[in-house]
Amino acid sequence: MDKNSQEQFTGTIKFTPPLYKQRYCFIKDLVGKYKPKKVADLGCADCTLLWMLKSCSCIEVLAGLDTCASVMKEKMHRLSPLPGDYLQPDDRSLTVTLYHGSVAHKDPCMLGFDLVTCIELIEHLEELELKKFPEVVFGFMAPTIVVISTPNSEFNPLLPGVMLFRHPDHKFEWNRAQFQSWALETARRYDYSVEFTGVGHPPSGMENVGFCTQIGVFFRKYPQTSESAQSEKSTEVVYKMVFKAVYPSLKDEKYLQSAVVSEVIFTAQMMKRRLLDRLMSEHEEYNDDPPERKSKFQPSVNCFSEDLGKLVVEKSLEPFVQENVVYVPLRTIFSFPKVNRLCGTFEKLCKLIAGKVTLSSDGSAVMLDAEHENE
Amino acid sequence: KTIGLQISAGFQELSLADRGGRRRDFHDLGVNTRQAIEHVQESKTGSSGTVIKLTANYFRLTSRPQWALYQYHVGYSPEMEARRLRSALLFQHVELIGKTHAFDGSILFLPKKLGNKVTEVFSRTRNGEDVKITITLTNELPPTSPTCLQFYNIIFRRLLKMLNLQQIGRNYYNPSDPINMPSHRLMVWPGFTSSILQYEENIMLCTDVSYKVLRSDTVLDFMYSLYYQVEEQRFRDVCAKELIGLIVLTKYNNRTYRIDDIDWDANPQCTFRKADGSEISYVDYYKNQYNQEITDLNQPVLVSQSKRRRGNLMPGPVVLIPELCFLTGLTEKMRNDFNMMKDLSVHTRLPPEQRQCEIRRIIDYIQKDDNVQKELRDWGLSFDSNLLSFKGRVVQGEKIFQAGSMFDYNAQFGDWSKEVRGAPLICAKPLDNWLLIYTRRNYDAANTLLQNLFKVTPAMGIRINKATMIEVDDRTEAYLRVLQQNITPDTNIAVCVLSSSRKDKYDAIKKYLCTDCPIPSQCVLARTLSKPQTAMAVSTKIALQMNCKMGGELWSVEIPLKQVMIVGIDCYHDTLAGKQSIAGFVASLNQTMTRWFSRCAVQSRGQELVDGLKVCLQTALREWFKWNKYLPSRIIVYRDGVGDGQLNTLVNYEVPQFLDCLKSIGKDYSPRLTVIVVKKRVNARFFAQCGGTLKNPPPGTVVDAEVTRPEWYDFFIVSQAVKSGCVAPTHYNVIYDTSKLKPDHVQRLTYKLCHMYYNWSGLIRVPAPCQYAHKLAFLVGQSIHKEPNLVLSDKLYYL
Repeated sequence: MDKNSQEQFTGTIKFTPPLYKQRYCFIKDLVGKYKPKKVADLGCADCTLLWMLKSCSCIEVLAGLDTCASVMKEKMHRLSPLPGDYLQPDDRSLTVTLYHGSVAHKDPCMLGFDLVTCIELIEHLEELELKKFPEVVFGFMAPTIVVISTPNSEFNPLLPGVMLFRHPDHKFEWNRAQFQSWALETARRYDYSVEFTGVGHPPSGMENVGFCTQIGVFFRKYPQTSESAQSEKSTEVVYKMVFKAVYPSLKDEKYLQSAVVSEVIFTAQMMKRRLLDRLMSEHEEYNDDPPERKSKFQPSVNCFSEDLGKLVVEKSLEPFVQENVVYVPLRTIFSFPKVNRLCGTFEKLCKLIAGKVTLSSDGSAVMLDAEHENE
Repeated sequence: KTIGLQISAGFQELSLADRGGRRRDFHDLGVNTRQAIEHVQESKTGSSGTVIKLTANYFRLTSRPQWALYQYHVGYSPEMEARRLRSALLFQHVELIGKTHAFDGSILFLPKKLGNKVTEVFSRTRNGEDVKITITLTNELPPTSPTCLQFYNIIFRRLLKMLNLQQIGRNYYNPSDPINMPSHRLMVWPGFTSSILQYEENIMLCTDVSYKVLRSDTVLDFMYSLYYQVEEQRFRDVCAKELIGLIVLTKYNNRTYRIDDIDWDANPQCTFRKADGSEISYVDYYKNQYNQEITDLNQPVLVSQSKRRRGNLMPGPVVLIPELCFLTGLTEKMRNDFNMMKDLSVHTRLPPEQRQCEIRRIIDYIQKDDNVQKELRDWGLSFDSNLLSFKGRVVQGEKIFQAGSMFDYNAQFGDWSKEVRGAPLICAKPLDNWLLIYTRRNYDAANTLLQNLFKVTPAMGIRINKATMIEVDDRTEAYLRVLQQNITPDTNIAVCVLSSSRKDKYDAIKKYLCTDCPIPSQCVLARTLSKPQTAMAVSTKIALQMNCKMGGELWSVEIPLKQVMIVGIDCYHDTLAGKQSIAGFVASLNQTMTRWFSRCAVQSRGQELVDGLKVCLQTALREWFKWNKYLPSRIIVYRDGVGDGQLNTLVNYEVPQFLDCLKSIGKDYSPRLTVIVVKKRVNARFFAQCGGTLKNPPPGTVVDAEVTRPEWYDFFIVSQAVKSGCVAPTHYNVIYDTSKLKPDHVQRLTYKLCHMYYNWSGLIRVPAPCQYAHKLAFLVGQSIHKEPNLVLSDKLYYL
C-alpha cells in the first residue's frame, strides 16, 4: 500500500451502521444463535449493550460490571422495567444487576454464566490486570462462551488522525497475530476452543489489513461444572452492587395470581353480561331500539364462540342465574384460552384464585351479583 | 471506553438551550400581571373573616447560605457537532468540573465556581484530534432566578427517577404496588404530581398524590372487543368515538401519546422513511429497534399529532401500532359507569388525614434514599421535612333570600336544600300551558310526575294547570313530530319522559327545541321517577329546574356592588365532531344576579375564540341596557376553561379585545373592567388543623398568602363542601383590574356568586356564571352543535 492510496482512504472510512453498533449486533446475533440464559457484560460502561440484550427473550439473568460506577449510573435507569412490563408481565423472569468492580478480581456473583462478553475491554487493562484477566474470566467464571473484541492495530493507518492508539486510555492495541496468539494460549490453558472473526470490513483493495475490530469467540470444551465444583470456588464478595431490577414475571406467584384473578373475573363478567343480555332480550316486549338490539346480539356469534374455540360447552357448564346471583362455572372459565394458558391445570386455577374470587359453596362456580350494570 | 457520556436524561428532555415558544410552560412562568394593577402593589390580601390554621401540600426548598448556580457556556474549537461527543470531551476534565453538574451540550451548570472566569482545556477525540474547550462563566444565578427554578425541576425529576418511580405524562408513579380492579380490567398506580415554583415567600415543592389509571389491554385488544359488540358498518365510527382523544402508553419506550386519528388504510407492513433516508416497514422497525413482534399484520395504525419536539424529530404526525399501545385513563363511557367510578373512588378518594400521609411519603422517600440525599447535598439543596403550615381566613356565610323570607344555611355542609323545600320562590313562572310527553310504557312514571308536581308547586308559588298529556312511540321521529304538532306560541315548557339514557333521542329533542322551535324543555328519565321513596324529592327538583328554565328566580344573596355586570365564560372542546370548540358566555342582567343572558361562540379549528366572545359581550351589553336603561359601570369577567400555559395568550390577546369591544360601544363609555381567571384543576390542597387531626377546610376558606404567586393578584377559595375525600380549592387569578375594588371585596363577591347556581341548592366550586357557561357550552357541544336561538337567551334553558 503506497502512501497516496492510504491518504485516499483516510477521509472516506465510515462504517454504516457505526462500528459500535456492529459490535453490539454481533453479540445480539450470537445470543440469538446460542440462546444463553445468563449473560454478563464485562466493562459495560453506559449499559447500552445490556439495554439491547434485555429484550432478548432467552435471557433470564443479565449482569454488568465496570470499574467506573458513575458511568454506569448515568443511564442505568433505562434498564428498569417499563410500565408495560408491569401491565403485561412476561412469561420469562429477568433480573438485571450492575456491579462496580474489576475484571482483575473474582467475585462469586459472576459464576454460572452462559455467555460473558468483553467488548473493547482488554485494551484498557493495565499490564497487571491483563495478566490476571484470563484466570478470572476463563478459570474462575468459566462460562460456556466468552466473546472478546479489541481493536486491530493493522487497521489504524486507515483511520484518520489515529497516531498511536484509537483512544487515549488504550494501554495497547494488538495486531491480529498478537491477539490470536494471546487468545490461543489462553484457550489452551483453560480448555476452551476459539474462533476468530471481526466487524468493520476494510475497504476493497485493503482486505489484507483485516477487520477494524477483531473478535475472538471462545467455547468451553469441558461440560458444565457441577454445583459442588462451583461452591468450592466460592470466594469473598468484592464487587459492589449498584443497581438491581427484577422484572415482573408470570413465574413470580404474585404476578401470576393477579393475572389469573384478573382474567377470571373479566371472563366471568363478560359471560354474565352475555347471559343477562340474552335473558333481558327474551323478556323484552318493546322493540324500541332495533339497531342497538341487533348489535348486542353480535357477540353471541363472534366473541363468545370464538373465545371458546372449538370447545363445545355442555349444558351443565353454562352460566345461570339463581336468586339474583349469576353463577359462572369455573370449568367454563378454565376453557378460555387465556385462562388456560396462564394456569395450565384446573387445580392450579383453583389454587390461584382461592380467597380472591367469590365462589359458590362447592367451589365450582364464580358468583356475581346479577344486578344489571346500567342500574 | 471509560469516558462516560455524562449527560442526564432529564436534561436532554428539558434542554435549557432552546427554550422558546414551542414547549408549553405549564406554570405560566414569566406572566407578570400584578405589576400592571396599581392598587394591589402593596398588598393583595383580604381581611374579613375568622382565622383558620391550615396545612398545605407544599414543602419549602432551601439552599445553603450564599448559594448560587453557576452557568457556563462551553465552546469547542474546532466545532464539534454531536452532543454526545461534546459531553464526552468535556468530561475528560472531570477533576476540574467535578462530579456534580448538568450539561446539555452547550450550557453547563455547576454548584461551584471555577477558578477563572474563562477556562481553556484540551481534549482528544477518538480520532486523535485535539480539541480546545473554552468554559466561560456567563451567569451567577441567585436561588430565585427563573433559570434556577427550571433547574430545580430538572434535578427533582432526576431524583424521582432515582427513586425508581416511572414517569407517565407529567407525573411519576410507583409501579411496584398497584391497585388491581380486575372486573374493569384496570390497574391504578399511585404516584405524585410535583412542581417547584417561586411562591409568595419561598421556593416550594408542591406535590400531591395522583393516581394513574392504566389498562392491561392494548388498543388492539380494545378494538377487538369493540368489534364483537357492534355491527360491522358501525365499527369504525364507534372505534373512533371511543379511542380518539385517549392517551396511550407505548409498550417499548414508555411514552404517552394522544390518539388524534385512526388510519384504516394503513397497516404494520407499511413503510416509512427513517432519519437516514432508508425505507423500513413498521414491523421491521419495531423488531430491530425494540425487539417487539407485531403479530397482527392487518391492524390499522394510530396517528398522533405530536406538538412537541421529540429528540431531533420535528413535530409532525407520529404513527403508532395499536398492538404496542396500552390505554390509559378513563373513557367517557367508563366515567359514566357509576359502579366503576364508585369502585375507583374507594381507592383514590382519600380523606384529608390519609391524603396528607400519602403526600408526606414523597419526602420520606427522598430523605431515606442515600443516593438522592447525596445528589441534593452535592447541589447544596434540601427540602423541609414538614408540610407548610400557615393561616387562612373563613369568610362569613351568606344569608339566602327568598320571597319574603331569609335564612342562614348550615355552614359546614354548604347546603340549603331543606330550607328551600316548600318555600315561595323569588319569581315563580306559571305552568299554564305545558306538554308532558311519554311512551306507553312510561305512562305511570309520567302520571306520578304530574301528581307530584301538583303537590309540590303550590308552596313554591307556582301556578299549575293540567299538562297536555301526549303518548308517543319510543322513536326519535315520533317525539319530534309530537313536539312539532303540539307546541304553540303559548306553550311554557315541554316535558319529555324518556325510557333510556340514549343520547341521540335526547340530542334530537334538545336540538329541535333550542334552535328550530325555541321553547324551554325538560327531559326526565323514567327510571329516576320510578322509585317511590325519592319521587317527591325528584319532583321538587324538577319543578325548580323547570321554573328556572322558564325564566323564574329561586333565591338570592346580598350583592352590595351596584351597576355591575358579571360575566362567566367557559369552554367545551369537542374532540370528536369536527374538532370545534364552544365557548359558553353568560352575563348578569339585574342587580340581584338572578337573571342571566347567555350566548355561545362556536369556533372551528384554527379560529380564535375571542372573536366570538367580542360579539357575545356586545350583545350582552345591549341586553343589559334594555333591562336597566343604562350601561353597567363595572364589568367583572370570570374566565374559566383556560388551560395550563395559556395565560399569556389571555393577557396579551383576549383582554385587549375585550377593551376594544367596550370602546366600540360608545365614545363616552369606559366601564371598569376586571378579568379573573378561574381554575378548578389545581394541585393545591388545604387541610384544616382541628385538634390533633386534619379536616377539610369549611366553605368560605380564603387563602391569599404563602401559596399564591408574587407576580400575580391571585387567591384561592374553598367554596364547596365535599362528603368524601379532600376538597379542592379553586384558584382565582385577577389578570386585569381597573375596578380599584379591594381584594377583600373581590374575594367576597366571588364567594357570594358561588351561592347562585340554581341547579344546586348549595355552594358550588365556581361562581354561578362559570357553571352556567359550562352547562351551556356542554349542551351545545354535546347535543346541539350550533348556536341556540337567541329567543331563549334570557332564560336558563340549558340547565
